[in-house]
Amino acid sequence: MIVFGLLQFVVAAVGVVIGIIFGALPGMTATMAIAIFLPLTYAYDITTSMYLLLGLYVGGISGGLVPAILINIPGTPSSITTGFDGHPMAIRGEGVRALRIGIVSSLFGGIFSLLVLWLFTPPLAALAIKFSAVEKFLIILFAMTVIAALSKGNMTKGIFAGFLGVLTALAGTFADNQKLRLVPSMFKMDMLSGFQLLPVLIGLFAISQVLMEAESGMKKSIVKPTKLGEEAKKFKFSDFKGQLVNLIRSSSIGTFIGILPGVGGSAASLLSYSQAKSFSKEPEKLGTGAVEGLVASESSNNGLTGGALVPLLSLGIPGDSTTAVLIGAFMLQGIQVGPLFITQNPGIWNTMLFALLICNIIMFLVMFYPVKYIANIIKIPKNRLYPVVIIMCIVGAYASRNGNMFDVWTLLLFGIIGYLFIKFGIPVTPYLIGFILGRDLEKYFIDSLKGSGGNLSIFFSRPIGWVIWGLIFISLAYAYYDNRKAKKQTIKV
Amino acid sequence: MADFFRVKIVYSQSHLVFPKIIIGILIILAVIMLLQRVMKAKKEKKPIISLKNKRFFEENYDKLKFYGTIVLFILYIIFMDIIGFLTASIIFVTLFNLLYAATKERKSVIVSIIVSVVTSVILWFIFGFVFNVTLP
Repeated sequence: MIVFGLLQFVVAAVGVVIGIIFGALPGMTATMAIAIFLPLTYAYDITTSMYLLLGLYVGGISGGLVPAILINIPGTPSSITTGFDGHPMAIRGEGVRALRIGIVSSLFGGIFSLLVLWLFTPPLAALAIKFSAVEKFLIILFAMTVIAALSKGNMTKGIFAGFLGVLTALAGTFADNQKLRLVPSMFKMDMLSGFQLLPVLIGLFAISQVLMEAESGMKKSIVKPTKLGEEAKKFKFSDFKGQLVNLIRSSSIGTFIGILPGVGGSAASLLSYSQAKSFSKEPEKLGTGAVEGLVASESSNNGLTGGALVPLLSLGIPGDSTTAVLIGAFMLQGIQVGPLFITQNPGIWNTMLFALLICNIIMFLVMFYPVKYIANIIKIPKNRLYPVVIIMCIVGAYASRNGNMFDVWTLLLFGIIGYLFIKFGIPVTPYLIGFILGRDLEKYFIDSLKGSGGNLSIFFSRPIGWVIWGLIFISLAYAYYDNRKAKKQTIKV
Repeated sequence: MADFFRVKIVYSQSHLVFPKIIIGILIILAVIMLLQRVMKAKKEKKPIISLKNKRFFEENYDKLKFYGTIVLFILYIIFMDIIGFLTASIIFVTLFNLLYAATKERKSVIVSIIVSVVTSVILWFIFGFVFNVTLP
């Protein structure tokens, strides 16, 4: 049932190491790593690909702690609070201790979320199997409102981005009547099937980032990393004494936020940090190098990994930008992710769980023991890596339909679109998720209406549908309230 | 009123139903965003659009690297079709390296060329021979 051998082990290890490098370099993220390595998975079957991609995911999330602790710059958004306590520890000469505490917490968070993934996905999928086209339509609508609702402080922009993504996905031929729409006539031949997923997502997440970095000149970080050498205090596993509740609480927060579509890593890290602070016996110590803060941040961000896979594998809805890219891997191999995924592909499902476990263990092994050398990662010159990223993007886009120049232009186009989105403060994740789910949204909408003879009341006629409508309104109401609160706070400040 | 809650699905036109709805929603959202902006501007007694104190690019942004990236990217794609993937990649990855490294030291130039040749050949080999993707 579980596919595992030397090849899979090597692929997972390569994935984890490259992921850690991407995670550790500010400006490069796990999402970017998965996006540019996605084309490489053509060569393998889906199970082997999963070892590579999940390795990149786990490594990419974990690597962020290295620069957070050593130079107080989070390598990924999800380690935003790691530096709060990690960096003061490093300054005190406890760099190795801080890194090791972070690494152990990451492992705990990863394994915890794996358990949640394993236990919660099958029942959720079993529930979703009963969904008709109406509920499938509503659940996508719900996912999109949640994503938009949680784009902090600019809900309307988030919803707008989501629908814009849907519109982008609709360009091309409509499967029902084989007619072309939303395509300029000069691109008729190239866009029969619309924009290809791969160049779109590589452009949005990799090329846009290259443009951002080019704009700021790719300067080397001026901050010198704190030296690791003479240790003021050695790491002991007893450092975790009294941290079990914190570990479980923070991992749960991370996993739960991972399950919610579109919330993102920085929110998980911030929320569990603030919870650790309010539950702490000595809250004033947090921010000065307390073990608690470090544990909270790192266990929650690795908790995300398994959590984000829950909605992906049970409902076919990606929980964050990284899993949105991951969905690409399944699409490329022609595997449908959705309620039927686990029952139809038990082998892939078991292998994914196992791969996630292996990747977490490899992450621990390659970070925990050679911890003194791992500090060198942040010295890797980014200006040598970006050209390599660019050529990989181009090759990946080109290969997506086995050789089509139009896809390479698509890559550049969406790179520029992604760059403009960042500039205008439009969130990219809702756009991508809208793009990925857009075709399904249309299909279920049309199918529902065909069933009802065009009567829109079909969307309000089934009890499960009412529940989902309820959830949609709750998420919108919450977002409205949260938006107001955020605005009031900014006025006060 | 009952007709309002009906959407006619005619087979030959069914490809246009959903795009129209989505465009409609986008227009409504755009209007809402505009109204929000106008209300905010009125409240704060500011003009609706003020370009003052607003800049698109960062202060002192790296013009050479930014526009250089876009121009090189476009030329790379064009030349890939003309002179083939491997040659074009070796040339352009070297140029990207030189652009980003921003020094003319001999050592840096040599490193750029080595990085470029190695990555181009590896990718060309992996995709061309291992994966059987025909590169231009």
